[in-house]
Amino acid sequence: MIDTTNEVLSLVNKREQQVATLMEKLFSAAQASAVFSTPVVAGNYTVVTACEVAVGGGFGSGMGQSPAPASREQQGETPQSVSGVGVGGGGGGGGGSNGRPVAAIVIGPQGVRVKPIVDVTKIAIAGITLGGTIAVMLRKVLK
Amino acid sequence: MQFKDVFQWRPVSGEPLIVDGQTITPQSRALIVRLPVGGFVWHLPTAVLVEQNGQVKRLPIVNVTRVLQLGLLASCVGIALAGWLASRKREENRT
Repeated sequence: MIDTTNEVLSLVNKREQQVATLMEKLFSAAQASAVFSTPVVAGNYTVVTACEVAVGGGFGSGMGQSPAPASREQQGETPQSVSGVGVGGGGGGGGGSNGRPVAAIVIGPQGVRVKPIVDVTKIAIAGITLGGTIAVMLRKVLK
Repeated sequence: MQFKDVFQWRPVSGEPLIVDGQTITPQSRALIVRLPVGGFVWHLPTAVLVEQNGQVKRLPIVNVTRVLQLGLLASCVGIALAGWLASRKREENRT
Protein backbone atom coordinates (compact mmCIF):
# COMPACT_ATOMS: atom_id res chain seq x y z
CA MET A 1 0.00 0.00 0.00
CA ILE A 2 2.80 2.43 0.99
CA ASP A 3 4.66 1.42 -2.18
CA THR A 4 1.64 2.22 -4.31
CA THR A 5 1.16 5.60 -2.62
CA ASN A 6 4.83 6.45 -3.12
CA GLU A 7 4.59 5.39 -6.74
CA VAL A 8 1.56 7.63 -7.30
CA LEU A 9 3.24 10.54 -5.51
CA SER A 10 6.39 10.16 -7.60
CA LEU A 11 4.24 10.11 -10.74
CA VAL A 12 2.50 13.29 -9.57
CA ASN A 13 5.88 14.96 -8.97
CA LYS A 14 7.07 13.85 -12.39
CA ARG A 15 3.91 15.24 -13.96
CA GLU A 16 4.40 18.57 -12.18
CA GLN A 17 7.93 18.79 -13.60
CA GLN A 18 6.64 17.97 -17.09
CA VAL A 19 3.94 20.63 -16.79
CA ALA A 20 6.54 23.20 -15.64
CA THR A 21 8.75 22.38 -18.64
CA LEU A 22 5.78 22.54 -20.99
CA MET A 23 4.67 25.91 -19.55
CA GLU A 24 8.21 27.23 -19.98
CA LYS A 25 8.12 26.19 -23.64
CA LEU A 26 4.66 27.72 -24.04
CA PHE A 27 5.77 31.10 -22.65
CA SER A 28 8.90 31.09 -24.82
CA ALA A 29 6.49 32.28 -27.54
CA ALA A 30 6.65 35.66 -25.79
CA GLN A 31 10.28 36.07 -26.86
CA ALA A 32 11.19 38.18 -29.88
CA SER A 33 12.75 35.17 -31.63
CA ALA A 34 9.29 33.60 -31.88
CA VAL A 35 8.02 36.53 -33.94
CA PHE A 36 11.04 37.66 -35.97
CA SER A 37 13.01 35.18 -38.06
CA THR A 38 16.77 35.06 -38.31
CA PRO A 39 17.95 37.40 -41.09
CA VAL A 40 18.39 35.85 -44.52
CA VAL A 41 21.01 37.47 -46.74
CA ALA A 42 20.64 37.24 -50.52
CA GLY A 43 22.88 39.48 -52.59
CA ASN A 44 22.48 43.09 -51.47
CA TYR A 45 19.32 42.30 -49.57
CA THR A 46 18.68 41.12 -46.02
CA VAL A 47 15.20 39.86 -45.22
CA VAL A 48 13.58 39.28 -41.84
CA THR A 49 10.04 37.90 -41.66
CA ALA A 50 7.67 39.05 -38.95
CA CYS A 51 4.99 36.61 -37.82
CA GLU A 52 2.01 36.75 -35.53
CA VAL A 53 2.06 33.87 -33.04
CA ALA A 54 -0.60 32.56 -30.68
CA VAL A 55 0.00 29.66 -28.31
CA GLY A 56 -2.24 28.27 -25.60
CA GLY A 57 -2.45 25.26 -23.37
CA GLY A 58 -4.12 23.84 -20.28
CA PHE A 59 -3.47 20.98 -17.94
CA GLY A 60 -5.25 19.22 -15.14
CA SER A 61 -4.74 16.28 -12.83
CA GLY A 62 -6.08 14.62 -9.77
CA MET A 63 -5.52 11.74 -7.42
CA GLY A 64 -7.41 10.00 -4.69
CA GLN A 65 -7.61 6.94 -2.54
CA SER A 66 -10.35 4.82 -1.10
CA PRO A 67 -11.16 5.16 2.65
CA ALA A 68 -8.96 3.33 5.18
CA PRO A 69 -10.11 -0.22 6.14
CA ALA A 70 -11.23 0.84 9.62
CA SER A 71 -13.61 3.44 8.34
CA ARG A 72 -14.93 1.06 5.70
CA GLU A 73 -15.57 -1.59 8.35
CA GLN A 74 -17.61 1.00 10.22
CA GLN A 75 -19.66 1.48 7.07
CA GLY A 76 -20.69 -2.18 7.32
CA GLU A 77 -18.24 -3.84 4.96
CA THR A 78 -16.88 -7.19 6.03
CA PRO A 79 -13.16 -7.43 6.94
CA GLN A 80 -12.64 -9.89 4.05
CA SER A 81 -13.73 -7.28 1.52
CA VAL A 82 -11.52 -4.50 2.90
CA SER A 83 -8.20 -6.25 2.46
CA GLY A 84 -6.77 -3.48 0.20
CA VAL A 85 -6.94 0.25 -0.25
CA GLY A 86 -7.03 1.66 -3.73
CA VAL A 87 -4.97 4.66 -4.80
CA GLY A 88 -5.26 6.25 -8.19
CA GLY A 89 -4.48 9.33 -10.15
CA GLY A 90 -4.72 10.78 -13.58
CA GLY A 91 -3.96 13.81 -15.62
CA GLY A 92 -4.42 15.33 -18.99
CA GLY A 93 -3.84 18.39 -21.05
CA GLY A 94 -4.32 20.04 -24.37
CA GLY A 95 -3.09 22.94 -26.36
CA GLY A 96 -2.66 24.54 -29.71
CA SER A 97 -0.64 27.09 -31.59
CA ASN A 98 -1.06 29.28 -34.60
CA GLY A 99 1.42 31.35 -36.55
CA ARG A 100 1.09 33.49 -39.66
CA PRO A 101 3.56 35.77 -41.46
CA VAL A 102 2.45 39.41 -41.30
CA ALA A 103 5.25 41.27 -43.06
CA ALA A 104 8.72 40.99 -44.52
CA ILE A 105 11.33 43.51 -43.47
CA VAL A 106 13.57 44.08 -46.48
CA ILE A 107 16.87 45.84 -45.96
CA GLY A 108 18.46 46.76 -49.26
CA PRO A 109 20.25 49.51 -51.17
CA GLN A 110 17.00 51.58 -51.11
CA GLY A 111 16.86 51.43 -47.34
CA VAL A 112 14.57 49.54 -44.98
CA ARG A 113 11.08 48.63 -46.21
CA VAL A 114 8.25 46.78 -44.52
CA LYS A 115 6.33 44.75 -47.09
CA PRO A 116 2.97 43.37 -45.89
CA ILE A 117 2.12 39.72 -46.52
CA VAL A 118 -1.58 39.31 -47.34
CA ASP A 119 -3.42 36.05 -46.65
CA VAL A 120 -5.62 35.83 -49.75
CA THR A 121 -7.63 32.86 -48.42
CA LYS A 122 -8.77 34.74 -45.33
CA ILE A 123 -9.68 37.80 -47.39
CA ALA A 124 -11.58 35.62 -49.86
CA ILE A 125 -13.57 33.98 -47.04
CA ALA A 126 -14.46 37.40 -45.61
CA GLY A 127 -15.39 38.58 -49.13
CA ILE A 128 -17.66 35.57 -49.69
CA THR A 129 -19.33 36.28 -46.33
CA LEU A 130 -19.88 39.90 -47.40
CA GLY A 131 -21.26 38.78 -50.76
CA GLY A 132 -23.66 36.39 -49.03
CA THR A 133 -24.83 39.12 -46.67
CA ILE A 134 -25.46 41.52 -49.58
CA ALA A 135 -27.39 38.81 -51.48
CA VAL A 136 -29.59 37.97 -48.47
CA MET A 137 -30.25 41.65 -47.75
CA LEU A 138 -31.09 42.46 -51.38
CA ARG A 139 -33.51 39.54 -51.48
CA LYS A 140 -35.17 40.73 -48.30
CA VAL A 141 -35.40 44.37 -49.41
CA LEU A 142 -36.64 43.63 -52.96
CA LYS A 143 -39.31 41.16 -51.78
CA MET B 1 -2.37 36.14 -7.37
CA GLN B 2 -2.60 39.70 -8.72
CA PHE B 3 -4.08 40.86 -12.01
CA LYS B 4 -0.67 41.83 -13.40
CA ASP B 5 0.64 38.32 -12.62
CA VAL B 6 -2.17 36.79 -14.66
CA PHE B 7 -2.38 39.29 -17.55
CA GLN B 8 0.58 41.02 -19.12
CA TRP B 9 0.58 43.21 -22.25
CA ARG B 10 4.21 44.05 -22.69
CA PRO B 11 6.47 45.40 -25.41
CA VAL B 12 9.27 43.14 -26.62
CA SER B 13 12.41 44.23 -28.47
CA GLY B 14 14.34 41.90 -30.72
CA GLU B 15 18.09 41.67 -31.25
CA PRO B 16 19.33 44.80 -33.07
CA LEU B 17 20.62 44.04 -36.55
CA ILE B 18 23.37 46.19 -38.07
CA VAL B 19 23.34 46.37 -41.87
CA ASP B 20 25.18 49.03 -43.93
CA GLY B 21 25.57 51.36 -40.97
CA GLN B 22 21.89 51.09 -40.06
CA THR B 23 20.74 49.59 -36.79
CA ILE B 24 17.43 47.81 -37.21
CA THR B 25 15.56 46.88 -34.05
CA PRO B 26 12.34 44.87 -34.47
CA GLN B 27 9.64 45.55 -31.90
CA SER B 28 6.58 43.55 -30.91
CA ARG B 29 3.94 43.24 -28.23
CA ALA B 30 2.93 40.15 -26.31
CA LEU B 31 -0.26 39.38 -24.41
CA ILE B 32 0.58 36.79 -21.78
CA VAL B 33 -2.07 35.06 -19.69
CA ARG B 34 -0.68 32.90 -16.90
CA LEU B 35 -3.10 30.62 -15.10
CA PRO B 36 -2.38 27.90 -12.53
CA VAL B 37 -3.66 25.28 -14.98
CA GLY B 38 -2.27 26.64 -18.22
CA GLY B 39 -1.62 29.76 -20.18
CA PHE B 40 -1.92 31.70 -23.39
CA VAL B 41 0.47 33.87 -25.39
CA TRP B 42 -0.49 36.15 -28.29
CA HIS B 43 2.53 37.83 -29.80
CA LEU B 44 2.40 40.25 -32.70
CA PRO B 45 5.02 42.42 -34.42
CA THR B 46 4.38 46.16 -34.15
CA ALA B 47 7.25 48.14 -35.69
CA VAL B 48 10.85 48.34 -36.82
CA LEU B 49 13.15 51.04 -35.47
CA VAL B 50 15.77 52.16 -37.98
CA GLU B 51 18.65 54.15 -36.54
CA GLN B 52 21.04 55.89 -38.92
CA ASN B 53 23.35 58.85 -38.34
CA GLY B 54 21.79 59.43 -34.93
CA GLN B 55 18.29 59.66 -36.38
CA VAL B 56 15.65 57.12 -35.41
CA LYS B 57 12.82 56.29 -37.80
CA ARG B 58 9.88 54.09 -36.79
CA LEU B 59 8.35 51.90 -39.49
CA PRO B 60 5.04 50.41 -38.30
CA ILE B 61 4.18 46.82 -39.21
CA VAL B 62 0.52 46.72 -40.24
CA ASN B 63 -1.35 43.43 -40.39
CA VAL B 64 -3.05 44.14 -43.73
CA THR B 65 -4.97 40.84 -43.67
CA ARG B 66 -6.56 41.71 -40.32
CA VAL B 67 -7.40 45.27 -41.41
CA LEU B 68 -9.10 43.99 -44.59
CA GLN B 69 -10.91 41.22 -42.69
CA LEU B 70 -12.24 43.66 -40.09
CA GLY B 71 -13.23 46.10 -42.84
CA LEU B 72 -15.18 43.44 -44.72
CA LEU B 73 -16.83 42.15 -41.54
CA ALA B 74 -17.77 45.71 -40.51
CA SER B 75 -19.31 46.14 -43.98
CA CYS B 76 -21.28 42.92 -43.40
CA VAL B 77 -22.65 44.23 -40.12
CA GLY B 78 -23.42 47.63 -41.69
CA ILE B 79 -25.25 46.10 -44.66
CA ALA B 80 -27.19 43.71 -42.41
CA LEU B 81 -28.24 46.61 -40.18
CA ALA B 82 -29.21 48.79 -43.14
CA GLY B 83 -31.26 45.95 -44.66
CA TRP B 84 -33.02 45.30 -41.36
CA LEU B 85 -33.85 49.01 -40.94
CA ALA B 86 -35.11 49.24 -44.54
CA SER B 87 -37.38 46.22 -44.20
CA ARG B 88 -38.69 47.52 -40.87
CA LYS B 89 -39.48 50.93 -42.37
CA ARG B 90 -41.28 49.31 -45.29
CA GLU B 91 -43.41 47.23 -42.93
CA GLU B 92 -44.28 50.37 -40.95
CA ASN B 93 -45.32 52.14 -44.18
CA ARG B 94 -47.58 49.20 -45.16
CA THR B 95 -49.43 49.37 -41.83
